[in-house]
Amino acid sequence: MEYTKDFLVKIHDDLLTTRMLEQKLVEIYAEGKVPGHIHSGAGQEASYVGVLATRKPGDYFKIGHRVIAATCVLGNPLDTFFGEILAKKTGNAGGRGGVNHTGRLCDGILGMSGTLGCDAGIPVGAAMTIEAEGRDNVAFFFVGDGAANRGPVYEAMTLAADWKLPVVFVCINNGFAISTPTTYSSPVPNVLADKAAGFNMPSLVVDGTDVLATYEAAKKMVDYTRSGNGPSVLECKCYRWRGHFEGDQCAYRDGAVTEQQIEEKDCLKLFEQKLVEQGVLTEEQIAKQKADFDQEMNESIARSEAAPEMTPDEIYDYLYV
Amino acid sequence: MNVTFGKAIGDALKEEMRRDEKVLIYGEDVAEFGNIFGLTRGMLEEFGPKRVRNTPITETAIIGSAIGAAETGLRPCLELMYSDFTTVCFAEIFHCVAKWRYMHGPEYKLPLVIRNAAGSANGAGSEHSNCVESLFMHAPGLIIITPSCAYDAKGLLKSAIRSDNPVLFCEPKLLYQVKQDIDEEVYNSDYTIPIGVADVKREGTDVTLVAVGLMVPRALEAAEKLAAEGISVEVIDPRTLAPLDTETIYNSIRKTHRAAVVEESNKTSGIGAEFAARFQEDMYDELDGPICRIAALDVPMPYNIPMEHYSIPSVDRIVESIRGMMN
Repeated sequence: MEYTKDFLVKIHDDLLTTRMLEQKLVEIYAEGKVPGHIHSGAGQEASYVGVLATRKPGDYFKIGHRVIAATCVLGNPLDTFFGEILAKKTGNAGGRGGVNHTGRLCDGILGMSGTLGCDAGIPVGAAMTIEAEGRDNVAFFFVGDGAANRGPVYEAMTLAADWKLPVVFVCINNGFAISTPTTYSSPVPNVLADKAAGFNMPSLVVDGTDVLATYEAAKKMVDYTRSGNGPSVLECKCYRWRGHFEGDQCAYRDGAVTEQQIEEKDCLKLFEQKLVEQGVLTEEQIAKQKADFDQEMNESIARSEAAPEMTPDEIYDYLYV
Repeated sequence: MNVTFGKAIGDALKEEMRRDEKVLIYGEDVAEFGNIFGLTRGMLEEFGPKRVRNTPITETAIIGSAIGAAETGLRPCLELMYSDFTTVCFAEIFHCVAKWRYMHGPEYKLPLVIRNAAGSANGAGSEHSNCVESLFMHAPGLIIITPSCAYDAKGLLKSAIRSDNPVLFCEPKLLYQVKQDIDEEVYNSDYTIPIGVADVKREGTDVTLVAVGLMVPRALEAAEKLAAEGISVEVIDPRTLAPLDTETIYNSIRKTHRAAVVEESNKTSGIGAEFAARFQEDMYDELDGPICRIAALDVPMPYNIPMEHYSIPSVDRIVESIRGMMN
């Protein structure tokens, strides 16, 4: 596939900011600034960025608990993002929701359930709105390989398939559900894609660390669904660099494999090498971009730390409003 | 005109669907079959297959999709057939529906109604006879409504559909065929009944009897019998169980100084358990005696019909319980 320079630069922007945000979350967690838990999506960014590059205005997104920085790709302002994660009034829910619930409806973000998989029906409902309004939009459902074993996912797929609704089911298969490897938990290598045929859905499996390959595979599925053919499945294979949450020592897996994955399958590094080789970006440009965004994040975090927290008289706000 | 409770619910759905094209109904067997109790008959023909939709047996997806549809602009009024099936999608209701607005912020509105046919039905057995209000009273964010008569059912369902907050709407099955005489002009007047407002169904001075759903007509019958014995019972139907209109109930307790709660569900951790605890916390100085809980026995609903009837509060049991309070 041929790409314009603008497209490649935009993909790089999204990949870079997502990576830096995921790493920044780890950093501020280590500094004791985050009240909750951080489930770092480092290493998995290309799966999200590649799929999200197929979006158009009016699409909806049910993102997963890992790579929450994807909400910023969709438009979630840094102050809203860090505000919610640091439990401040400047967050979208004023600190009531937390790390798994950051994002804005105006960006098409549908919200997510911390009880992973319980939210599988939500993009199906958003697709009902799309259908009722006669739009050519789609609703994306992102799920990990762990929650992909849950019943609600298959009930949602059944309903979406029966009603031929525009939902793209995206499984980000990073190999582990907390400590349990997919080789143990799944009877098939592709947790969701291998089951798609049972729902009469087309599916593709792609290397989720290759952002352009992910985009191209996603585009095939999204085009199919956007054209009114019904739901589809995409499975992005990647590797979770860090533990399930910060503090997880990963004693259940071979550290050498993790090191090899980080060394050989770094989606950002691989993409940047390609862009530099092709003359799309220079190393100096990339370095400056990193420094600029780091400063932007730090300033947002400083503002968020200084922002007020909700008080007891506000604890019932947003209930029965 | 005489209107059944079931017809009032069907009429509320139809009127709201005519009024607002964003309203749609879906659930198991609601389209051609017209709902297992016949409440939605004729709606598929009037509103078409996109607004009256059958679902496969996928309760978690029914609830989940309602959230997605509601937050993006539709107003789904779905049904789970039997109230017992709320337990199949308990997490989706308890975690997602109830908490969604709180967890995600005020931008996320959730105009959805979960209708369910509740309670006993003569031999329906242990898994088709439950009342689930108390299970969900533990989920802040959820509005819970249980009407007791056709007039209230219609007005409350219309309010529920128009609300931007999620509503669990419980319909006692044994009331579906119960008729109520309602002025025709009033019935057709697009009236609504506000959420969170209790109704004094009968005034009295000796005991405040808070009755829920199917127990309201029984409480009224019991009050009539007790009146003959010189015991004056004030029957209050909360109509909305969460959030609860304590003001109306407490005004009554200030007058009667005695309170009882009657419900169709099990006694332990039931509606009465919560209400009684709350009333005594708030109104201890006004009470002349302990608050009486009248509820179903703590057994799974027996299939045997005489035993089913025995396990649920009858008019006689309500009379005996109230009489016991006066001694």
